[in-house]
Amino acid sequence: MGGRDTDIVLLDKNGIRSDGRKINETRKVTIKAGVLRNAQGSAYIEFGDNKILVGVYGPRDVHPKHMSDTNTGILRCRYHMSPFSVGERKNPAPSRREVEISKVIQEALLPAVILKKFPRTAVDVYMEVLQADGGTRCAALTGASVALADAGIPMRDLVAGCAAGKAADTLILDVNNEEDQAGQADLPIGYMPNLEKITLLQLDGILNPEEFKKCIEIGIDGCKQVYEIQKKSLQEKYFTGDNN
Amino acid sequence: MSNDKKRHVIPGEIIVTGKYRAEQNTVLQDDKIMATVIGLSDIHDESVRVIPLTGGYYPKDDDMVIGKIVSHSAMSWEVDINSCYAGMLPASDVFGRGFSSSSNDLQSKLANGDLIIARIVNADKTRDPLLTISGRELGKIDSGELVNISPSKVPRLIGKRGSMIQMIENGTHAQITIGQNGLLVVSCEDPDGLLKAIRAIELVEEKAHVANLTDQVSEMLESKSD
Amino acid sequence: MADSFILDQLKKSQIIELLKDGKRLDGRSFDESRELSIDVNVIPKAEGSARARLGDTEVVAGVKIQPERPFPDTGDQGMLICTAEILPIAHPNVETGPPQPPVVELARVTDRGIRESHMLDMKQLVLEKDKSVIGIFCDNAVTDHDGNLFDACSYATTAAINSCKIPKFEMKDDQPVKIENEFNEPPITTLPVSVTMGKIGDFIIVDPNLDEWSILDARITITTNSDGNVVALQKGGSDGFTQDELIKCAEISVKVGSKIREIIKKNSSV
Repeated sequence: MGGRDTDIVLLDKNGIRSDGRKINETRKVTIKAGVLRNAQGSAYIEFGDNKILVGVYGPRDVHPKHMSDTNTGILRCRYHMSPFSVGERKNPAPSRREVEISKVIQEALLPAVILKKFPRTAVDVYMEVLQADGGTRCAALTGASVALADAGIPMRDLVAGCAAGKAADTLILDVNNEEDQAGQADLPIGYMPNLEKITLLQLDGILNPEEFKKCIEIGIDGCKQVYEIQKKSLQEKYFTGDNN
Repeated sequence: MSNDKKRHVIPGEIIVTGKYRAEQNTVLQDDKIMATVIGLSDIHDESVRVIPLTGGYYPKDDDMVIGKIVSHSAMSWEVDINSCYAGMLPASDVFGRGFSSSSNDLQSKLANGDLIIARIVNADKTRDPLLTISGRELGKIDSGELVNISPSKVPRLIGKRGSMIQMIENGTHAQITIGQNGLLVVSCEDPDGLLKAIRAIELVEEKAHVANLTDQVSEMLESKSD
Repeated sequence: MADSFILDQLKKSQIIELLKDGKRLDGRSFDESRELSIDVNVIPKAEGSARARLGDTEVVAGVKIQPERPFPDTGDQGMLICTAEILPIAHPNVETGPPQPPVVELARVTDRGIRESHMLDMKQLVLEKDKSVIGIFCDNAVTDHDGNLFDACSYATTAAINSCKIPKFEMKDDQPVKIENEFNEPPITTLPVSVTMGKIGDFIIVDPNLDEWSILDARITITTNSDGNVVALQKGGSDGFTQDELIKCAEISVKVGSKIREIIKKNSSV
């Protein structure tokens, strides 16, 4: 068995994981679009036990002015965890991990957003993790895409996030916190389903070339499942109650 | 001339494939035309566009907009026009060409918080849109109630040749000044008329893309106010 | 932050005209606060949590409890720290970065309200005197801003602490070790509740929303405990209060506070 010593049985003899899931099953995902009063776009996402609130403002004026681009709008992302979101209380000040994740998510969304029409402005995406349980960056990215669409920011596609990984020598979909701690690999993916492009990709752990290829396939499949939920959340807000 | 393929779309969804022109809120990817915003796709004469259900106001030349003064420099006022760009109202527009700067003069004419109805003179992307309030029906707004609706619903509120807005004004005896940027000012001597007019506006915003909206609004206006 | 929020002139005149008639824009009376809803355990993995919705203002408070070394001069007491931050999702004018004075004030007023009321009997939160005590952190995150964050944070914090569960610890080799799945009730002595009143001209209104907040001349936040005693005060704004006004405010805060206390009690009792 790989990974750190643990009392948790990551995979039992029937192929069932520690939280009752099968190896190619994602956790339960629910998304609600348009939940905040002041933000121009917003979304609340529960991805397993992850609870994340995303707000989007913009396009709007950039301060300080020297940060603006005269040719295009810029995208700024902030991924932030509340002190009470994790097991041991976290200091509210941004950690290096949050800074890195903010950048990675920004670069995952950049290929999707079309900001040429808004030079000298910024679109600000704020992702607040209220409760964390492994895979927060994929969940935050997923919520951010919905919030951007809700705000009316032109996009080439939504970006859906889901992680694949390896635990107990088996390739699994959607790694939760326990599996991340004790498992052998964690591969978060951000994927544009209609353009079929991967825009977020990281790896923690060891995978041989065959496992890597399979993991990507599994992860993309997970992203496609998540995309259906993103779609549903926008349809629920904008297209129900319509006699069209 | 077919107008019948209206479909709900979200960003990234493929509307059609083949020889079509990609118009507003769409993007061409290989031979696929995809939506870039949430809205209704509309195929008309080989061109494809999406009527948006989201999004803010994008300044256009000659648009009438309602704005709020938020600050000023020695030479101009900065105006919040509910858009991604702030509007700029030069002091010379109010004081005349021979104006010489003095901060106090600006403050006395238009203070922070004052509302104006203005026209966009120059919506050039490289600078903030230029505004003017010299002209008939333009200037400072002294009374009424400010209402905020999604800019994408303004055309529906105005209606074909003004039919919807006139119906609301006639049915309530209110005067409604509409800014293309989604800000409106509603005045009415009768407080019940004011309330009804605002409710009618909210109804249009809520049901902008429902087929029998005109009937629903007309019904609402005729019912006794509670 | 309210300084940078400019209310349009039409609404400002409307609010002031209505005040002269004894009315408010949203139909409330002067001593009426907005509808309050409290949900606890919204963050199940934390040791306690609550979401308070005061009108359209929304705050999420989370309680984290872990063993800490006590402060040198209070080795016989547990530790309590309350904080607050306004998340940038809450309002377009919120800036990220180190907390500005208004946010620091919000956090400190929230902390004082809980601390000075002695809501928790800190002497019951000791694991080993002078070595190891129970540290309770209550962090408030404002998620939507429609004025009066002081009261929203006060209610979320009180509800979160009132409904929290304190893990049991035992000392092993001088180190505190958590006993899984065993909890104690928090040693609650009182329920502090703050009521903020704003002053516009000579009119005093309870629980100003953001529009009203942006044109206040002064404000006062008064925290009372279950006995109806005043435990904390904070005056803010650029104008002053007369003695009579302050006495009236204190009376209002007891009256309104007790109604709110009932709502918090009802929604945060186990």
